[in-house]
Order: sequence, then structure tokens, then C-alpha cells
Amino acid sequence: MLAFALIGFAGFASLCLAMEKHFNELLKRKPTAVQRKALRVAGWALLLVSLLLAVQVRGLALGLVEWVAVLMAGVTLWVFGLPYQPRLLLAAAAASCVLGPLLAVLAL
Amino acid sequence: MKEGFRQAMAWLHTWTGLIFGWLLFAIFLTGTLAYFKEEISHWAKPEVNSHPLDAERSLAMAQRYLEANAGTSSNWLIRLPSEREPALSVGWRDPQGQGRRGFVRKELDAASGAEVQARESRGGDFFYRFHFELQMPYPWGRWLASCCAFVMLLGLVTGIITHKKIFKEFFTFRPGKGQRSWLDGHNAIGVLALPFHLMISYSSLVIFMYMVMPAGILASYGNSGGYFDELFGRDEVPEAAGERVPLVPLPQLYAKVQQQAPGARMGFIQVYNPGDRNARVSLARAAADSVAYKRSANWTFDGTSGALLTQGAPESAAMMTAFTFVGLHMGNFAGPGLRWLYFVFGIAGTAVIGTGLVMWLGKRQLKHAKSAHMPGELRLVEVLNIASMSGLLLGVAAFFWANRLLPPALEGRDGWEIDSFFTLWALALLHAALRPGRRAWGEQLALGALAFGLLPLLNALTTGQGLNHSLAVGDWAMAGFDLTALGTGLFLAWAAGKMLRAPKVVAKRAAKGDKRTALEAQ
Repeated sequence: MLAFALIGFAGFASLCLAMEKHFNELLKRKPTAVQRKALRVAGWALLLVSLLLAVQVRGLALGLVEWVAVLMAGVTLWVFGLPYQPRLLLAAAAASCVLGPLLAVLAL
Repeated sequence: MKEGFRQAMAWLHTWTGLIFGWLLFAIFLTGTLAYFKEEISHWAKPEVNSHPLDAERSLAMAQRYLEANAGTSSNWLIRLPSEREPALSVGWRDPQGQGRRGFVRKELDAASGAEVQARESRGGDFFYRFHFELQMPYPWGRWLASCCAFVMLLGLVTGIITHKKIFKEFFTFRPGKGQRSWLDGHNAIGVLALPFHLMISYSSLVIFMYMVMPAGILASYGNSGGYFDELFGRDEVPEAAGERVPLVPLPQLYAKVQQQAPGARMGFIQVYNPGDRNARVSLARAAADSVAYKRSANWTFDGTSGALLTQGAPESAAMMTAFTFVGLHMGNFAGPGLRWLYFVFGIAGTAVIGTGLVMWLGKRQLKHAKSAHMPGELRLVEVLNIASMSGLLLGVAAFFWANRLLPPALEGRDGWEIDSFFTLWALALLHAALRPGRRAWGEQLALGALAFGLLPLLNALTTGQGLNHSLAVGDWAMAGFDLTALGTGLFLAWAAGKMLRAPKVVAKRAAKGDKRTALEAQ
């Protein structure tokens, strides 16, 4: 559950950064068009990977339910934590990119 | 035309939300508590101890107990202990017609098989029942709750239409900006947990669809009885033959089920005509075993020979769809992690309703900020807001305090617990009506903070099963309850602090606004 939760969390963080407003606020500089596009593609790809992983590990029924649940929890944490702890959440998203796949591989 | 449509939806969202919001808040909060129904019941009955699970041993114990105490009964009911329910529950139809509806229920210790003399308490079941029956007589509460569910669904759809910037502001929350922050919060919790909100309100209508939309059933079956018989199947139980034949050992039947469905957990186990030649035993799989709330996973045996007679047929696609919604709503399948997430999203749903109610009032209060007097209708909404939110929390706390403070042997003590819930809720309404708005919020939240924050201490003092004990022995239901109460207390203390302090930020903003209007006037 934790593996696809972390990957999905990173996916949403990436989609958030793909928006000019949030990129400016969080990283204090303007994103290039290529950066934004890359972030958007990466975000959707991470969400898709976490979905596939969830269904693979937990089966279709439980996998779908748990995937939606952890995604909602992750993005809620992201949105409501952002005004207070932006750097911590950015670090957490970066760590999730590494930790999520690592946990998934270890669980195989 | 398009603007007109959106405005109409905003109007609908605002007013249905206000009228049903108070009740919806209570339904969502108690429903959220119901996700921990068994855990709350475990806390409410600390006399019941949890033991390692051993289904076959428990079943043999139940059979021994029932043969000794209910040998002449026509019907037994057994519920094995599970990860969430520590007691071995047995029940039987009493030939003398004693007990509730002629049915006697007992809880046995899972290790010794002895009857547990637990205090009378509805525990988590009270909140579960209240959230869809509202303590009203059948079927009125269910109807009202279904209306509320419909309004919630309507509120979600109209809310989405009104919001318009769903994707542009998907990740937006700006705290510390008064009304703006409340709206951001309301929108963000609504949108981010939208799958949950949609699922929970739609599925509640599916649960009661036979009641809400009975026309099809009435046209084809005449009454709902025939419909349910065809849907779930009837237990075909022959009459008792009147010839005594010993009942087959139940653990044997359990083992047969395990051969067919390895690892299956059991829900209700029913025995008809025990000790008779025509005895029947039916074992149903626990709801915890699948996402869909299935009825098909059951096995019926001949109670004397132990032969498998019938097995539930798999559901049709339409039934599976409906049962999946029901299962998703109830969350019986959820393990500890997912259950906590259910709880969190339940809180989120409650918060969406609460923030909506607060905003309705806040927006209109701004217009009257300068005058000392608030119009009567706004004051009414304010009082109802306070009573329905912080007042309800006080009622919940009162239920738990009553559970620990009432003498365990008191006659009808489960009724007293419920009475304390409603009494405190009513007192909170009175208090809200007598005190000025901000003070009333602050005082009720502060009292709530004390009431929840001290619950773990009260538990430790009255039962000796406080956190020091429950954490040491790994009783996570008990410890989880105490820690959640503590967390609730801290949150309420924070909220009370905000309310009791002078509203500095708002004053400053108003001043700034004044300056701007003054400049504009120049």
C-alpha cells in the first residue's frame, strides 16, 4: 500500500509543479515550457504506474479502492500542508520518487 | 443563459445546504464514528478481553454453551470472535419468549467460554444506528436520512457546477485570509476527496433503494417480502421432526468450509432445530472478506449427518454492482490502514458540511458587522450552527463519560447513556441561545477539549485499562480510542483558543477595507 501511495503522491506533486503559479511559488523561478510539459507527463505517468502497481499487488477490487484512498489522502496532505511546510513537502515528494519504487521492488 | 444556470445552481447549493446541513453534519460525524463501531464497542465494554483467535475452538465452546443453556431452542446464532470483535457472541430464540423480540444474546469469553458479565451499553452500535435512523421510529428516520443523502448528492453536483475553477484551483489553499480561506478549504476538501463524497452519498441511496424507489418492486412482487426472498434466497428449513439426534460437532463443518474456501473468515453461523433429526446449520462468510457486500458465500449443512446440502449461488452482475456500492459504503472489508483512511475522509465530509454552514453565516454577518444588533434569522442560524457542531461533539463526549461513570449494574444503563447524549446536546443548544456567538463557540469547544482530553484518564481511573495498560498488552482498539480522544481534545483546545482570543485578524482587515473605501470615496 505504501509503495503505490508514495508513487501517487509524487505524481500529484509533479502535476502541481506543472502549473506555472505553483512552480513560481514553490521554486521561486519561472518554469520553461519544456519543464512544465515534462512535469505534466511525469505526473500522469507516475499516477498510472501507481494504479497499475496497486491493481497488480492488491487485485482489481481492493487495488482500485486503496489506490483512490491513498491518492486522496496524499493530495489532501499536499494541498493543506503546502502553505505551512512547502520545503518539507517538496523533500517528501522527491523522497517518494525514490522510496516508492524501491519499496515496490522489495515487495516483489 | 449559462451564467443564469450557474447562479441557479449556486442558489440551490446554498439553501439546501443550509436547511439540511445541520442534520447532515450529525449524520456524517456519527457515520464516521461508525467506521470504528466494533472498536468503540470494545472500549464501551472493557470487561470483554481479547484473546488470540482460534475459530474451531471458539465454535466448539459456543456449541457446548448453547447445548447446556439453550438445548430446547429452535434457533441458535453464533458469531465468532474476530480481529475487531473480541467476544464470542451467541444468541438463541427463547422458548419462553424472554429477551428482546424473544431472542436472548450473550457474550462469552473467547478463552474460557464463560459468560462475560459486561456492562450494558450500545457502544459503537448507537452511533451506527443513529447515523441512518436518527433515533426516530421505523421508517421515518431512514426516510429522513435518505432525504439528507439525496441533498448531499445534490450539494456535491451543484457545488461542482458552482465552483467552476476545479482544475485551475485544484491545489489551492490560502490560509489566514478570513472568508477566502474558508471557501478555499471548503472547495479543496470537497474536490480532493470527491470520489469518497460521491461514493458515500450515492451508495447510501443504493442501500435504501428498495425504500426510496419501491415502484418496480411493488409492480412485480406486490410487496418487498417477495423481492427479498428472491434476492437473498430463503432459508428452507424443515419443521422439527420431534426426534432427538445429537448435533454434529460444528468445528467439523467449519473445517469443510475451509477446504472449499481456504482462509475464509466466518460471519453469522445459524443452527436451526438443534438436537433434532431435521437440524440445519448454515455458515456465512464474513463481510470482511470481500469489497462487495455479498450474500452468496454461504454453506448449509445437514445438522445430523454433516452433509453439505446447498451453497449460495453467485450474484448476477446487477446485484454485484449494487452490493459493491453497499460494501464500499460500509467498509467492512477495510483493514486497519484503509479503515483509518475511511475515518479521515468521513471527517473530511463532515468538515465540508461544517465549513459550508460557517460560510453561509459569515458572508451575511459581514453586512451587519458595524451594527451592534444581528437580525433574528442570522442569530437563529448562528445558534443552530453552534449547537449542531460543537454541541454534537459534547453529546458524543457525554455518551462516553456516561459509559464510564454510570454504575455497571444500573438497570437500563444503555438507555441512560443515550439519554446523556441527547441531554447534553439539548443543553448545548440552550447554552448557544443564551451566550453571544463567539463566546458560545469558545466555551463549548473548550468544554469539549476537556471532555475528550480527559477521557483516557477517566478510562484509566475507572477500568484500570488506561494507555499504560493497553499499550503494554497491545490492545490497539482500546489504545487507539484513548489516543483518538486525546487528539480530538487537543484539536478542540486549539479551536477553542482561536475562538476565545479576540478576533485580531478580522479587525485589521476590516480597518484596511475601511481605509480603502475611504480612499475610493475621496
